Amino acid sequence: MPSLKQWRGLDALARDPAFVARAEAEFPMLAKAMAAPTDRRGVLRLMAAGLALAGLTGCDAGAQDGILMPPVRPASGTVGTSGLFATAHMAQGYAEGVLLRHAAGRPIKVEGNTLHPASLGATDAIAQAEILGFYDPDRDITLRRGRTAQSWQDLVTALAAQRARAEQDRGAGLRLLTGRITSPTLARQIAELRAAYPEMRWHQWEPVTRDAVRAGALLAYGQPVQVQPRLDVADVIVAFDGDLLGSAPGHLRFARDFASRRNPTRTDRMSRVYAVEPAPTPMGLVADHRLIAGPRDLARFVPMLAGAVLRDETASDAPPWLAAMAADLKGARGRAFVHAGPELPAEAHALVHAMNEALGGRGATYRLTDPAEAEPVALADSLAALMADMQAGRVHTLIVLDSNPAYTAPGFADALTRVAFSLTMAMAPTETAGLTHWSVPQRHGFEDWSDGRAFDGTATILQPQAQPLYDAISPHTLLSLLRGPAPVGSRDAVRATWAAAWGESLDTRWHDSLAAGLVDDTAVPVSDVRLRDAAAQAIPPVPDGDTALLLRPDPHVWDGRWANNAWLQELPRATTKLVWDNPLLLSPAGARALGVRNGERVEVRRGDAHVVLPAWVVPGQAPDTVIATLGYGRRDVGEVGRDVGWNVYPLTGGGPVSLRKAEGHDALASTEHHDPIFCDAGEYVRHTDLAAFEADPHVLGHEPPLDSLYRTHPPGPAAWGMSVDLNACIGCNACVVACMAENNVPVVGKAQVLHQREMHWLRIDRYYEGAPDDPDIFLQPMLCQHCEQAPCEVVCPVEATLHDSEGLNVMVYNRCIGTRFCSNNCPYKVRRFNYFPYAQDEHRTALARNPEVTVRARGVMEKCTFCLQRIAAARIVADIENRPVGAEEVVTACQAACPTRVFSFGNMAEGGAVVEHKKSPLSYALLAEQNTHPRLTYEGVVRNRNKDVGA
Amino acid sequence: MTGPTRDDRGITRPRLGDPVALSTSNAAMTEHVSAVPFRSQPFARYWLAVAPFGALTAVLLGSILYLFYAGVGIWGIDWPVVWGFALINYVWWIAIASGGTFISALFYLTRSEWRNAINRIAETMTLFGAVCAGIYPILHLGRPWFFYWLFPYPNTMDLYPQFRSPLLWDFFAILTYVISSVLFWYFGLLPDLATMRDRATKRGWQIFYGALALGFRGSSTQWRHYHVTYGVLAAIMAPLVCSVHSIVGLDFAGAATPGWHSTQFPPFFIFGAFLSGFATVLLLVIALRRLLRLQDWMTGRHFDALCKLLLTSSLFVGYAYTMDGFSIFYGGEKAEIVNYTDRLFGYYAPIYWGAVLFNVIVPQLLWIRTIRVNQVLVTLISLGVIVGMWFERYTIVVGSLHRPHLPSAWGLYHGSLWDWLTLMGTVGLFVFGILLAIRIVPAMSMFEMRDTLEQQR
Repeated sequence: MPSLKQWRGLDALARDPAFVARAEAEFPMLAKAMAAPTDRRGVLRLMAAGLALAGLTGCDAGAQDGILMPPVRPASGTVGTSGLFATAHMAQGYAEGVLLRHAAGRPIKVEGNTLHPASLGATDAIAQAEILGFYDPDRDITLRRGRTAQSWQDLVTALAAQRARAEQDRGAGLRLLTGRITSPTLARQIAELRAAYPEMRWHQWEPVTRDAVRAGALLAYGQPVQVQPRLDVADVIVAFDGDLLGSAPGHLRFARDFASRRNPTRTDRMSRVYAVEPAPTPMGLVADHRLIAGPRDLARFVPMLAGAVLRDETASDAPPWLAAMAADLKGARGRAFVHAGPELPAEAHALVHAMNEALGGRGATYRLTDPAEAEPVALADSLAALMADMQAGRVHTLIVLDSNPAYTAPGFADALTRVAFSLTMAMAPTETAGLTHWSVPQRHGFEDWSDGRAFDGTATILQPQAQPLYDAISPHTLLSLLRGPAPVGSRDAVRATWAAAWGESLDTRWHDSLAAGLVDDTAVPVSDVRLRDAAAQAIPPVPDGDTALLLRPDPHVWDGRWANNAWLQELPRATTKLVWDNPLLLSPAGARALGVRNGERVEVRRGDAHVVLPAWVVPGQAPDTVIATLGYGRRDVGEVGRDVGWNVYPLTGGGPVSLRKAEGHDALASTEHHDPIFCDAGEYVRHTDLAAFEADPHVLGHEPPLDSLYRTHPPGPAAWGMSVDLNACIGCNACVVACMAENNVPVVGKAQVLHQREMHWLRIDRYYEGAPDDPDIFLQPMLCQHCEQAPCEVVCPVEATLHDSEGLNVMVYNRCIGTRFCSNNCPYKVRRFNYFPYAQDEHRTALARNPEVTVRARGVMEKCTFCLQRIAAARIVADIENRPVGAEEVVTACQAACPTRVFSFGNMAEGGAVVEHKKSPLSYALLAEQNTHPRLTYEGVVRNRNKDVGA
Repeated sequence: MTGPTRDDRGITRPRLGDPVALSTSNAAMTEHVSAVPFRSQPFARYWLAVAPFGALTAVLLGSILYLFYAGVGIWGIDWPVVWGFALINYVWWIAIASGGTFISALFYLTRSEWRNAINRIAETMTLFGAVCAGIYPILHLGRPWFFYWLFPYPNTMDLYPQFRSPLLWDFFAILTYVISSVLFWYFGLLPDLATMRDRATKRGWQIFYGALALGFRGSSTQWRHYHVTYGVLAAIMAPLVCSVHSIVGLDFAGAATPGWHSTQFPPFFIFGAFLSGFATVLLLVIALRRLLRLQDWMTGRHFDALCKLLLTSSLFVGYAYTMDGFSIFYGGEKAEIVNYTDRLFGYYAPIYWGAVLFNVIVPQLLWIRTIRVNQVLVTLISLGVIVGMWFERYTIVVGSLHRPHLPSAWGLYHGSLWDWLTLMGTVGLFVFGILLAIRIVPAMSMFEMRDTLEQQR
């Protein structure tokens, strides 16, 4: 257990023979210096350098059994000699396969793993930001008991005492609380603990429970089966407040499948999507029909649709679109799919199961499988049972792993005072760790061995990407200490799990699994369970009360666990474009009724709890619905997330909801400053419907280029260009974070965003059309258009921005003196200026940055470069091989991250997808009348509207 | 012609029929004007006038030091309004500076003898106006220590500036203008410096003015050369004042930004420059003739002429405002129309209408003859024009930038405390500089006034 050893100072460590031996092996010059003991100062200096390297350069190949390159390189055009190494990002307990790109000996960027079923090469915003979380300086929490730092030996001793106690009462007072767990190794270790202490209980808790989904499956099938939609097969999709494209386990795959049927120039049959929802979701943003329904309406509409689909009933009070929707579904038997979001009641889920079976979707538009969790339980019940036992004094030892109930579960902190021994293992400061007796630092997933399953059960073995940055241990080691006195290293624990399955072939399969980032043939089997007849008869309860309060996880900081990640905090939410805050989201009608405007405070009461929040008006939200966002207002957290927003977990209890306008006003930072409803229809985001497109494919215009006085085509051997498919953009923001990670784009903080100084090179513009109560919403990723006739270039007096021969508009940071004229002259306003030394002021170590990209100084303009560093790397390889750079050899960071393949990029001189897409009749240049000849073009939006559905 | 009237304190009130100078002897005039630099007439009011502006100059210095330490982020500029007070103030000051050149050079060429009494004040104003304007483009830079990269100097990297950039033209235009203004001002001083040398009684002053006078002794050859050279300089300066403002206009018109992309900007900026230049000259003349008791030589005739010029340029500016609207709707580009409509009715509309009020509407009062010699009203109207011209620049810079093509980039702008301190600081520097200058050089061109007085007799 070498990593458990503490050292008090460099001098003391230098006397440790084991350390000296290791250091000698790694740094021969150190051994030489050691041989001259008189030069103590010199030794220390070398030692300090060696320690820094040992801790941060990572990849101690000998000790860690190698980090393995994947057999297939998913993204070409990666920089220089840097490699890609597979592991997984864990979200809500499920694994999302990722590859970490290493440069200068350390991981610097998260990429998707094309082989992994939950990634297919894409990542989401949270996974992209996880590299910042890995380098988070606030992770440096020491092992503590109360407020006192402890040595690891103290922990071992303390746990030995608890083991003895658990042995006495067969584990009756020993409780383990974890998040949702899919990890086979954790499951095995917990099973072994249960074997040793038969009366021990294991509780799982996630604030975002998905319990209704499970309960719905139980109602319909009697088992907690799960649905795996195949949206690439579905012709008609109906989503009731769906989260399939946003946060459902497997959402990246669903988004990829979904998008494959959304651009009529690339699919024979465009799907038709109905989204019935209280507030804009990713699915709603791209749906052909977005129908607004609050929770009460949803509870009525689902049985109405079920009646129409299953029994041809027509409800008298059905909305006008329902009959058309039902007809559409029935007309697409075997190619239709209905989905209900996790917040709908269990009965609604049962009805949806019944509809899908009746529509012949099972096995066609979706697969019904066993769940991927190690032990699927109702999380709310599980935690409630634990808290009841704690209050009753039946718990003497509580071990909390990867969970923060003191923040997410009201009442937990109180119950905790009745537990004699409590211990939290956490990666960073949490409220729970601050309250339990012991706080044990946990290794980050990128520096530890572990395993986990994806939504479909596919297992991935997580391999460490670097030596642990801070003194921490693995959860596997902690669990082993509950079992016996000998700590087990995480690698041994994981290997032991897979050794049982693989036997003789352990070494080969271990190697292959690490390299590929997944374990073959571990997907959960398809379930053959029969639908219960009762499913079709379920009646969802209609919530009472005039106002429905929805508590939703924030799309980026989720339940609060990523609150300390500045990239995620400063990521504009898809429609509100809010950053660093969680105001109460109101519909325009609701805001009018309350008499509040953006930023004015509202008091929300539910039962005994009340919270005062500023208001934010969301066009297109159901009038009777207000939404409060979870994950904010954390107190015991790192420097970034502390006191950001307001904690709304107290509102999770039941009871009637009431709203009242309160005194005061809060400044809320949104990156969209314009009035919500403005532009002419289709002015910036061109759009049409499928019928019009089929009648005239060129309906969106394809203007002939305007004349120009100057030579327009750069003469270089390559011609870089991009096409952006607006049909596919769901506003997930993965591209925005990927860009920040790749290009060292700084975070500026709320005050500077309020001052309109955000730095994102890539932003997603949002446009509304129509009435505020029910507008059409369009998204448009906006980045440097790399104009061939770039207006920015001619106005820079020092030629700090100019054109290269391959059509790139390049920015020479060293030459920039900061006149900012280029920004004035950019019609697309994609240039960002360093008003302050933002990069220097970031809460981030230099090591966390991409070494291939210049970190910009104060007073310098910056903008998207089309990931010039990736182009340069590919160019070098091509030059060595004496060939042109291939058409799709370079993948930009945004393109690689995008789950729906919005971006296509490449060397247009060599053909490829981007050339194809630019030939699409939907293709247009934004602000073409400016005659800038942008190298980036958009493909306009086509919506497959049902003419029988009004509006 | 009625004679001058003096009030109880012996102060002359300007009257419409006044001659360019009231009848005084050459000797009395020279004695009076040269007495100020020699401090033979100590007056406390001078120090009372200097103190606040000296303090403001210190504020400017402090603001600049903090700006260099902290960066341009201390200002209110943001995204999309990346240009703010620095550019507004720059254009405002350079316009103020224009008045002096115009009066001094153009009216010299047209032999308008009334200019002789005020051309020194006007030129000194130009000098310090240009200094105030000249520091802003450097303060404006994100990395001001590299400002010299604008200059096409030979360097090892073989890098040259972008000659297509209006900012580069601007750099040269300003440089030329500042250097020419200094030369013109200094050259116009030579005979007076010689007078001062001759009148100085203390050794130190004799050496000081003697060195500055460059050996000017008033020989007829020297006078012939002097007049020829001064004429040539004036002939250079007169078009230069137009070119510099045209190029300042091109700083904006050269960009494709909505609200700026207009062919009328160069003349529009010249009109504006004259308007603010004349207003500032009026303000200075009103103040300095009192401070230095120059009422006998700066008379109602000057008020009349300057107010007529102010009125004329105000009409030009009004025409430019109208044509701005006309060409935008005639051109029909959507972004321009949105931008213009917003200028008229949007968030910054009060500032635009303020500019219209102060620059076009209020100066129409000057059609009335008695108002042209009413010192209080003329002061108020001139102050209004100065503020109005600042409003106009605010509208051009901020109003245009905050409504770019894409609505997703729309935003607002407000000046920060540091913006205001810097602006006030340059006002301080401007007045402080002029007040210092008139303690060293004669505030009135003595040798030219001698000609004028000679002719009157």
